[in-house]
Amino acid sequence: MFTEAYMQRAMVTALLLGPLCGLIGVFVTARRMAFFSDTISHAALAGIAVGFWLGFADPTLPMVAVSLGVAALMLWLKEKTDLLTDTIMALLLSGSVAFGIVVISLLKGFRGELHRYLFGDILSVGPQEVWLAFAVSAVVAAAVAVRLNALTLLTASEDLAHVSGIPVRRLNYAFVLVLTVVVALSIRLLGIILVTSLLVIPPAAARNIARNLRQQIVLAVLAGALGGGGGVALSYRFDLPCGPSIVLTSVALFLATLAASRLRQASGRALRSAP
Amino acid sequence: MAEIRFHPGGLAIESRGVRVTLGDTQVLRGVDLHVPRGKIVALIGPNGSGKTTLLRCLLGLQKPDAGEIRLFGEHIGPEVLKRVGYVPQRLPLDRSFILSVREFLALRLPGTAGWFWQSHRRTDALLRDTLEGLDLDGILGRPLSGLSGGQLQRVLIASSLLTKPELLLLDEPTAGVDRPGEQSFYELITEVHRRHKLTVVLVSHDLSMVYRHASRVYALNGVICCEGTPEEVMSADSLKQAYGIHVTPYHHDHGPGHHHVH
Repeated sequence: MFTEAYMQRAMVTALLLGPLCGLIGVFVTARRMAFFSDTISHAALAGIAVGFWLGFADPTLPMVAVSLGVAALMLWLKEKTDLLTDTIMALLLSGSVAFGIVVISLLKGFRGELHRYLFGDILSVGPQEVWLAFAVSAVVAAAVAVRLNALTLLTASEDLAHVSGIPVRRLNYAFVLVLTVVVALSIRLLGIILVTSLLVIPPAAARNIARNLRQQIVLAVLAGALGGGGGVALSYRFDLPCGPSIVLTSVALFLATLAASRLRQASGRALRSAP
Repeated sequence: MAEIRFHPGGLAIESRGVRVTLGDTQVLRGVDLHVPRGKIVALIGPNGSGKTTLLRCLLGLQKPDAGEIRLFGEHIGPEVLKRVGYVPQRLPLDRSFILSVREFLALRLPGTAGWFWQSHRRTDALLRDTLEGLDLDGILGRPLSGLSGGQLQRVLIASSLLTKPELLLLDEPTAGVDRPGEQSFYELITEVHRRHKLTVVLVSHDLSMVYRHASRVYALNGVICCEGTPEEVMSADSLKQAYGIHVTPYHHDHGPGHHHVH
């Protein structure tokens, strides 16, 4: 089944990015940044459109650049205006999507490409994407390991983090930078519309059965690997779009852990009430 | 006669003319505060008196529009904040964030996230000295978001003590704690103060606690409008100044020393 090179590439990339998204996702969800990452991923559509327009063969670079630009704009608007964060994100999300669709419509000839970026496509993972995923995974995992205390304290309370001497602003910007790069890379597999799910579902599945943060991180990384790898296999086997396959595999994992936690609670109650 | 000298580091907190305007409201209108080292003091004031804003200024979370603040004679910055412990009223914790008490405390231990890689037993051994007397052994494995108000407070105090501070700032420490819990809180603070030899600042709107537990009281209402021993400040006149309304200290079934504002 894994004889074709494109399939191997997709599988390796999924097994790198799935765990990475699970790891980052634990903090994304706890910091209520799921909608933020959704905005970043939709901004990528504008980046892809700009890439086509400027004649890029591979739109990764403009995609990351425009996503970073929108992320920076989001932070700037949050600091400088009294607008609600939700409002800012909805504005930038719909604005980016509209801009991307209009540009692609004007360019013609790229409409067929659009589908691949919206829903993910294992065929679109080239050798350079694999190397990029490998490099980013290694750097981000190392950075999280080194700054785990600071990141965790920041997630628990920004005020406490500040008083403890953590450079809150710098760390926040670094986190957004990492999130943007991870989201942009994962779009190849998951597509713009579904990419946030890999940041949300594995940590949620892990949360169902974890008793502390360490367990949640380990389980979210595992769930990301299972969801990503399983989804790619499913996509290949049944010729399904890659993004939805990964999401459905992850949702199945979530339901399984939910059932496990319910069962554990029920058996705990039964044990306690037994004479 | 002994010569009186000014020690730049002699005061724990020293502020001059601190002004802060938030929106259209001038919350602090020139705060002069001098808190000596080594005592338990209280900063009291009604809601809207600027207590929280002043606390945020002391912690470097809010920049004054004018005036100057020094802690131990130094300008507020990362260096001097290492000597400060902060106990917030609560944490803005999401329930989905399943940080355990043990993990939260271990975040303050030096080094790189040992709690993630080492056994619970090893982490607990590193925490043991600081946790002594705080009665946290039974809840180290519990998630932080599932604690009662009193438990969370003990955890937050333990966490701030791990960095061995010389000044402990507590924000509304008795809000959300019941009466018996309040009593044990003060016993705890007295014990912490004795054991760790630090300056403790209780920021509160609760007058009753001041009476029994602080050796010096600062009443805030945009400015420090009176300061002194609890007895001096609790006299109706100065309290009236602080709260801008009539105050009758009286005793009732909470036991002696509970003064209520009407």
